[in-house]
Parts: sequence; structure tokens; C-alpha cells
Amino acid sequence: MSTEKTYQFSPHAEARFKELETKFPQRSSLVIWALHLVQEDVGYIPRDAVDYVAQRVGVAPSWVAGVVSFYSMFHEEPIGKYNLNICYNASCYLMGSDKLEECVTRKLGIKPGETTPDGLFTYTRQAECLAACGKAPAIQVNEEYYEDLTPEKLEALIDELKKKG
Amino acid sequence: MAAPHEVRVILQDFGKPDSHTIGVYEAGGGYKALKKILVEEKDKWTPDAIIEEVKKSNLRGRGGAGFPTGLKWSFLPKGNDKPKYVVCNADESEPGTFKDRYLLEELPHGMIEGMIIAGLALNSNHGFIYLRGEFYLGWQRVEAAIKEAYAKGYLGENILGSGKTFHLATFRGAGAYICGEETALLESLEGKRGHPRLKPPFPAVKGLYGCPTTVNNVETFAAVPHIILKGGDWYAKLGVGDPKSGGTKLFSVSGHVKNPGVYEVPLGLPLKKLIYETCGGLREGRKLKAVVPGGSSTPILTADEAENATLDYEGMAKLGTMLGSGGLIVLDDSTDIVEFTYRIAYFYAHESCGQCTPCREGSRWVQDVLARVRAHDAQSEDVDTLLSFTENMGNGTTICPFADAVVMGVTPIVKKFRPEFEAYLQRTEAVPSGT
Ligand SMILES: Cc1cc2nc3c(=O)[nH]c(=O)nc-3n(C[C@H](O)[C@H](O)[C@H](O)COP(=O)(O)O)c2cc1C
Ligand code: SF4
Ligand code: FES
Repeated sequence: MSTEKTYQFSPHAEARFKELETKFPQRSSLVIWALHLVQEDVGYIPRDAVDYVAQRVGVAPSWVAGVVSFYSMFHEEPIGKYNLNICYNASCYLMGSDKLEECVTRKLGIKPGETTPDGLFTYTRQAECLAACGKAPAIQVNEEYYEDLTPEKLEALIDELKKKG
Repeated sequence: MAAPHEVRVILQDFGKPDSHTIGVYEAGGGYKALKKILVEEKDKWTPDAIIEEVKKSNLRGRGGAGFPTGLKWSFLPKGNDKPKYVVCNADESEPGTFKDRYLLEELPHGMIEGMIIAGLALNSNHGFIYLRGEFYLGWQRVEAAIKEAYAKGYLGENILGSGKTFHLATFRGAGAYICGEETALLESLEGKRGHPRLKPPFPAVKGLYGCPTTVNNVETFAAVPHIILKGGDWYAKLGVGDPKSGGTKLFSVSGHVKNPGVYEVPLGLPLKKLIYETCGGLREGRKLKAVVPGGSSTPILTADEAENATLDYEGMAKLGTMLGSGGLIVLDDSTDIVEFTYRIAYFYAHESCGQCTPCREGSRWVQDVLARVRAHDAQSEDVDTLLSFTENMGNGTTICPFADAVVMGVTPIVKKFRPEFEAYLQRTEAVPSGT
């Protein structure tokens, strides 16, 4: 482990953080913002980034760790390159989201919470409604929404992402 | 194109190309209200005059609770010994609700102008927009819109030469339904876990960073410029139901209708008209089974109850339910109501913040019982226990109304459709789900 470099913001994240510092009257507001920047940098929140964010913002590491564990979008471990968040909530259920879940498991061999061995896909069962109910069933893949889905469209999307790698 | 019964005020530019840009917003009269207040009629529009106009409009909070907006603003202290904050609740995550996402992505300037006007009414120089973390496109669009507004001199120092200042910044949440509750939102905005605060003190007195704060919904702010421009009386009269429900309201309609989507209709419109005319009715050969009127936390209406329901705060109260966020979920007779209820319970069990024992344990337990019903592994007594237990789960025993939301979202379904739950207990085979 000693050879591993400890985390610090990428130049892009550093610039964003400096800009954000001017926008909030109290620094503690930067905790969640800084964690977003970390996750954009490395895809999850490594343990040393918790200490780094604490030191940059000026709060205790336990504060930052508590925040990471509270919010479902922050990942404490690396996840797949593509996070397939399949909405499990009421309206998507009404419009056939079970078929999407079945499609992912059939095609990728993973259940909710699991990642494919090649590290490409994670399948997340999204408990919170995605606010896309008018075009249900819906999923979110990383930042992007995909709506009005059918298993066929989802299969095509997965194939496309596989090709992109 | 507007659908039958739509009256587009907030949504006037909805569907136009580049509706999210400042050019389109200005062409439709955008930022005219701000100019009216700060330039054309600057002597008339004191902070109190703005609040009075909003009171006159009968605008009620569009985030779910329906609290009168003008009254809420009047609770902030007048003195300037502490900074004051205007916070926009763009955490939209009530199941069945998706109107704010459209406003953020397609029409961000209405909300921004409304927030600036709120800042003038409350002598506040600072606003924050709290967006749920999942709304990435919405966040990018809001950021771009803020930049446009700064460039035009609508935000920043000395707005339109008036000497007034208002700054606006965005904040991204990170996946927690409870952060939609306004005090949890403020905790989160301060960089903490989203734990609701004990009230009082209310945010009007002690909000963000311990300072007086108003928290309002995206749609609430978006209505404000129109109220200033055309008058509170004009806005109030847009409602066609109870006079206390002024204006238009956005409804997010999902589920088994032909044309789901976001529609802006006058408050007081009969529910049936919205379903059968605005949304094109149910799919062929289907009958209405039930309607969840205002997001998953509002008690369900059976088809019979929905028959004469009107879409205003009072009409919903008469039927023992609420208008909530206007997230309408329509269920036809193909729906497996047990599975539907389980999905709602699953959501609540995941989203309790865990501070209060009745809520933390209760919401998990409700999910467990329904999981057993769904697996044909429960007894009739379990359903009775569920109903009697939930009577004591909320009722002021918890810090925030989340526990009540669990009860209101789940138990009326079990009560009103009990035979279907009973039938599940007797069956042994799995039931096909979905459409
Ligand atoms: C559990 C819970 C979740 C809520 N979620 C939201 C939400 O996502 N968006 C929102 O605007 N209000 C939400 N509210 C209501 C807010 O607490 C608050 O009343 C609202 O932001 C006030 O704005 P308004 O008066 O303009 O409606 C929620 C309330 C509770 C109890
Ligand atoms: S009622 Fe539930 S969500 Fe609200 S504060 Fe208590 S535990 Fe948290
Ligand atoms: S229920 Fe899936 S997006 Fe709302």
C-alpha cells in the first residue's frame, strides 16, 4: 500500500473546488460538493479521499465518512464502469420494469448490487423514483436517463455500451 | 401544444426549441416582472407590496404541503441583523412526481426569476438551488441559465441599476429522498447527513446556517413572476374550484393512461377530466381501479371515490386525501395491487433517515409484512397487525412527517383493497406482475 499515491483533486476538480469556495458562506457546505468532485475523478470515494476532503474543507474525517455512508450515490468501493440503475418504484412497476430487471440478469448474469467480472456493469435496484414516471419504465446509467424502455431497447443499449467498453 | 383543459402559465414555453435559454424566456415576457419591480414601478414594489401580491394570488406551496406562500414569506423577521436565505427545493423525489425535473431541464429561468423576486421581498442577497443528485442534465441547464442571468445583469450586484444584490448558486444532493423535507435539505446544504431537524424553530427564524430562510418548491418560485406581472387577483381567479385554491397547478400523470406526462391545469378541475380528456383516457378495454392523487405519500382513491373528485386542496381533503405534489398515478384493472403496495413500502423502508425508532423500525416492518404477503407466507392476522401497528407509527411521535407518509401511502391501500391481500394469502402460485 505504501507505494500507492494518496488521493488529491485532479486539476479540473481543483479548479471547480476553488470556484465553489467562493459561493458558500460556510465551508461545511463544500463537503458534499467535494465528494462529488472525488467521485467524478475516480468513480468512487477511496478511504484516503475522505481524509483529504476533511482536510480541504476543514471538518473532521468522521463527519465526511458519515456523509459518504448516508447518501446512496456515494460509493465506498469501486463499481462497474456503467451503473445500471433500474427504477423499482411504483410507476415503473406498473409499466413493466420487472422485464428490464429480468433482462439485465439474463444478459449479464448479475443480480441487484452485483458487478460483472469484467468490471463493466453494475446493476443497482433504484429504490427512489427517478422522476421519470411519465416515461416509465426508466433507468439511469451513470448521469444519463433512458426512458420509455423495453427489454429490446435495453438489450440494444447494453450491447452498445459493451462495444464502447 | 396544449392538451384539453390545459391553461399554460408556467409552461407557456414548454416544447419550444431551446426553451431553457434566456432568449426564449425573454421573448415570452421573461424578466419583465423583475424590471417592473426594480425599474418601471420601483416606488410601488416595496418588500411588503410583493408579499401582499403573492398573498392575494392564493399561491400555495407546490412541494406537497400546500402552505400559503405569501404567508410563509411574511414569517421571516424584517430586521437585517442576520443574513437571510432563499432556498429552492429541487430535490423532487416523491414517487410519481416528475414536474420539477421538466422545469429544471426545460424552463429554468422562471424559477430563477421567482427566486430573485423572493430575494427582493425578503431582503435576502443569497439564494441556493438544491437539486437532487440524479438530475445531472437539469443541473447543467440551471447552471447555464444562472450564467445567462448574471451576464444580463439580472443576478449579481446592482441588479438593473437598482442597487440591489442577489447571488445564486447550485448544490447537488447525493441520493436521499428525505432531503426533500425542508429541514433535512438545510442540513444537507450545510454539508451534513440529511437528518430532519426538530421544529420549532422553523426555517423562517432559524434555517440555513442558523439564519432566517425560506424554502420553496421549484414550481412555487416559477409561478411568482406571473403573479407580479399580471396580478395576484388574476392568478387566483385561474382556479376553477374552491376559491382558496388559486391558480394553475402542474400535474405529473403516470401509470395506465394513454398519454402520461406533465400538464398544467386550473386547480379545481375534475379529476375525471384530467384522466379521460387531458391524458386521453385509459388503454383500450381497461377499467379504472384506483388513483394515487398526489405522490405515493397521499392516500389512494378507489375508482368510485375518483368519480367525483376535484383537483384542489379542499376537494382532496373532502375525500380524506391530499393534492400533495400533484403526482398522479393511475391504476387500471390489470394492476396487482399487492405488488404495487410492496414497491411503495420497499421505497420507504430504504429511505427512512433512521433517527426515530418508530419510523426506522416501523417502515422496515411494514415492508417485511408485505414481503411475506407477496410470498404467500403470511396469515390474515398479519394484515390486522399491520393495520393496528401503523396507527401508532406517526401521529407526532417522530421528528418529521416521513413516518406519517409511510402510513398514508400504505394503509389506505390495504384497507380499501383488503380482499386482494386476503386472496394473496390463500394462493400459493406466483402472480404475474406488471403490464
Ligand atoms: C418526507 C418529505 C419529503 C419531501 N420532499 C419534497 C420534495 O422532494 N420537493 C419539495 O419541493 N418538497 C418536498 N417536501 C416538502 C418540503 O418539506 C417543504 O414543505 C417544501 O419544500 C416547501 O415548499 P413549498 O411551500 O413551495 O411547497 C417534502 C416533505 C417531506 C415531509
Ligand atoms: S420520521 Fe423517519 S425520516 Fe423523519 S426524522 Fe424520524 S426517522 Fe427520519
Ligand atoms: S417510478 Fe420509476 S421513475 Fe418514477
